[in-house]
Amino acid sequence: MKSGGAPRRLEGLAFVAPFLLLYGVVLIWPLLMGIGISFHRADLFGAREWIGLGNYATALADPVVHQAIGNTLLLALLIVPPLTALALLLALALNRATRGAAVFRGIFFSSSVLSVTIVTLIWRFILTPDAGLLAVAADALGREPLPFLSDQALVIPAIAITTIWWSLGFPIMLFLAGLQQVPADVYEAAALDRAGRWTTFRHITLPAIRRTLLLVVMLQTVGQLQLFGQAQLLTGGGPGGGSRTIVLAIFEVAFGRWELGYATALAEILFAMILVVTLLQYWLVTRREDAG
Amino acid sequence: MRWCGLLLLLLAGCAAPDQRPEIVVQRFFGECGVIHGGSTDVAAADTECGILTTLFNRFEAENPDIRLKVNVVAWPGYPQLAAQIAAGDPPDLVTMHQSVISDYQDRGLLEPMDGVLVEAGVDAATFTPAARAGVVKYGRVYAMPWDTIGRLFHINTRLMAQAGLMRDGKPVLPRSPDELLAQARQFKAATGKPYLVQAHVNAPDFHVALLYTYLLAQGDTIFPDARHVRLDTPAARQVVALFRQLHAEGLTTRNQDFPAATARFVQGGGGIFPVGTWMIGPYDAEAARPGSALYRSYAIAPFPRLWGQDAAFVDGHAWVMPRAARSRSERAAIARFLGFLARYNADWSRTGQLPAFQPVLETDSFRALPHRGDIVAIASTGTQLPEHVRRQSAIQGLIGEELEAAVTGIKPIDRALADAERRVNRLYAELP
Amino acid sequence: MSATSPRAGLSGPVLALLLVGAAVMLTPMVWTLLLSVKSNAALLGDSGAALSPPYTLDNYRAILADRLTSRWLLNSLIVSLGTTAGVLVLSSLAGFAFARLEFPFRRSLFLFVLLGLAIPEQAVILPRHQLFATLGLHNSYPGLILPGLTGSFGVFFMTQYFRAIPRDLDEAALLDGASRLRLFWSVLLPLTIPAQATLGVFTFLASWNDYWWPLISATTSDYYTLTVGLASAQMNYAQTSGLGFLMAQAVFASVPILIVYIVFQKQIVRAMAGTAVR
Repeated sequence: MKSGGAPRRLEGLAFVAPFLLLYGVVLIWPLLMGIGISFHRADLFGAREWIGLGNYATALADPVVHQAIGNTLLLALLIVPPLTALALLLALALNRATRGAAVFRGIFFSSSVLSVTIVTLIWRFILTPDAGLLAVAADALGREPLPFLSDQALVIPAIAITTIWWSLGFPIMLFLAGLQQVPADVYEAAALDRAGRWTTFRHITLPAIRRTLLLVVMLQTVGQLQLFGQAQLLTGGGPGGGSRTIVLAIFEVAFGRWELGYATALAEILFAMILVVTLLQYWLVTRREDAG
Repeated sequence: MRWCGLLLLLLAGCAAPDQRPEIVVQRFFGECGVIHGGSTDVAAADTECGILTTLFNRFEAENPDIRLKVNVVAWPGYPQLAAQIAAGDPPDLVTMHQSVISDYQDRGLLEPMDGVLVEAGVDAATFTPAARAGVVKYGRVYAMPWDTIGRLFHINTRLMAQAGLMRDGKPVLPRSPDELLAQARQFKAATGKPYLVQAHVNAPDFHVALLYTYLLAQGDTIFPDARHVRLDTPAARQVVALFRQLHAEGLTTRNQDFPAATARFVQGGGGIFPVGTWMIGPYDAEAARPGSALYRSYAIAPFPRLWGQDAAFVDGHAWVMPRAARSRSERAAIARFLGFLARYNADWSRTGQLPAFQPVLETDSFRALPHRGDIVAIASTGTQLPEHVRRQSAIQGLIGEELEAAVTGIKPIDRALADAERRVNRLYAELP
Repeated sequence: MSATSPRAGLSGPVLALLLVGAAVMLTPMVWTLLLSVKSNAALLGDSGAALSPPYTLDNYRAILADRLTSRWLLNSLIVSLGTTAGVLVLSSLAGFAFARLEFPFRRSLFLFVLLGLAIPEQAVILPRHQLFATLGLHNSYPGLILPGLTGSFGVFFMTQYFRAIPRDLDEAALLDGASRLRLFWSVLLPLTIPAQATLGVFTFLASWNDYWWPLISATTSDYYTLTVGLASAQMNYAQTSGLGFLMAQAVFASVPILIVYIVFQKQIVRAMAGTAVR
């Protein structure tokens, strides 16, 4: 790969150019426009007044924003690790070419096809305390049903469970694709060594799918930090702002108050948060690779 | 679309251009072409969607010289409208809540409609007082009003009778906060069910409507000017304290969102549901259905006077015209469409909403509709928010969130009201 | 676990746990299906009515009879298939280059693309709306498809996958005098089918269920996608009536995704059974 003259070297650029062109025009350019807008007091219809870091200062002093950041981080923490672990276990169990496994794979994927509107509609029925499925169960056990959507301590876990149920399908697929890359002969060797399941998993499977694991964790973190529809539709961010996420706050500020400048500033703050968290994850996993 | 226009210019003659003026009408209320198809029989249609669909069909049939393009948007349609205006491509007529008009009017995004309404033969003097207050801003008419939406007590009379709260076939309603508590306790003791059915989850408008109504009743000025709200007042504390008391004693449903509360009332799970005029239609249908918990036991009444004067906080739907360059023939087409709609306002009032035109209100056929005699006063006494109130829906969200917290006991009342006031005032400070 | 051969069946305890999990996944789905075949009036007061007959297909009939539904379905298919095809092509080309070729700024460009993973949609959606207004792209298929082609995930994912393919394959091909394009097209691309399938399902799904961009970009009903169209058809803002109809819409809108899943899943399984990357 080290050989090749100038044309050879430019050939690579030709392969990436189509994507980079679109990426630059349709994603990066609007991002830069947004960063520009965030330094203004701006509305949706073109009014602009330069206020420097004013929007950022307002955001940092806004208790509603603090609460939203806290809620968002907590949600990500309650969703990503269990979701990843569950998806990995299911992928390991279903990584086989039998018909039964295919049926199970389909079942665990099925919830992903629903749009967020329907997911929240269904989970409303499960969670709502006077007629929901969980209420019926609590009734049967002779207990007061828990008010999942109106108790500040319960609403975040309720949204987390809803989200895990909804999002399971795709990580399973990613893990399955990753497991395809683990050569079967390695397992055969391990089986000959009479290695236990845990040992095989710890020393063969896990290292082999480390990149997939990183990918799943990063994607889920990025996705869950942008959680929006579930909170908006199930609780509207309540009670008392107890489930307002950053994106819900951005939505309210942009479309409810028309404060485009403030909304974009909040979006840039979210961008920075996601960047820091994902870079941290990336660095934690890849530094060992580069060292070794 | 622009590319397409350019292409058409270049390939002039590739398709015979339609010379008729086109008007784009954008509305919510859903899509029901399936049920009504091409029907033009307005009188036979019911539901908001059905009546509008047949009306539009009829207009097309009667006015073949105008091209009517109908755009149905998801409720409430404001993100789409904002996007269209920002992109410089707004529709010609749009459904808008009257409480939202100030936002767009203040930003110069709406055409004053005095002229087009005159051309349409619609006399603004015939608007009901509540409707006029909803569409006239700073002396100019910014919309053609379509109805008045009010909040009411929807009442299960069977349960009220069981609680001994019926006299001469009419529900007995409280005349003071103490009476309300007493009757609610009496109701709960007799029926084992909560007196009020309310939504406390994801339903900020619920408590805000109650608070506004009873502040208006006490003569409080809620919005003294365009930059302030006044909520941290003795009057407000009294109102919230009453509803907190009801909640604390279990005299109202708890932990429900709006759909749950709606279903609860239909199942006969509580006495009184303080929700909008828009539920009259569906509940009337239930009241006519044997086997329903509401069968022959449904009544409505305005919010009772608990403090001060009779009062009702109202809103309404209206047709606005976003600002855009339009030809003379397009304006004429819009005028004709508005005039046509106005003639059918009586049909719209079959949905449960109050008509926007005084003459309709006075017809026998309107008075003959079920329950309407009980609420007709709202069209004249109903109070809209002052014309300078902007961002009503955002503000309602903020206040409602704090009220929910106060009523359910998450926050002390004083602090919730102070927080609501502070948050709204800060929002106003950021507005241009 | 995976130490067993891929053809072996599931062991007892694992099977039991899977069955419990499947029940948790399926109960709400069955519930949705039952609600969708009930009349709306019967569900107004009590959604528990879904558990007993009479059942009806009226809700589905209502969806199919709407003259606009087929148009929206077509729009959604065009947009989602267009986006999926575009993403697969662009990501494969870029992923191959990042994994296998040397070119100026390769590493920095890759990091630049990775940056995209962290960009939240909210940071770009409104400025992009302005940009597309200037370009006259709203209410058009390109306007709906282009934003979906800029996701970094596909490039990142394909790069990872190409990297995992042993290098000796290309060395052999290049020694045979094959061009880079040939190496990409005939040697490596066939090996990435499981990855293509995964990426394809993911992209189609995301595109199909996307709501905010089509909502503000496709503002005339001729260009609505199915999600936006079905939302506009809702008569009642609080979903208190028409529950059965709503659920029928959900089932209806899910069918194309299920078909795509089944088709792509077959590719993954086929790869699993034989030609998996070694």
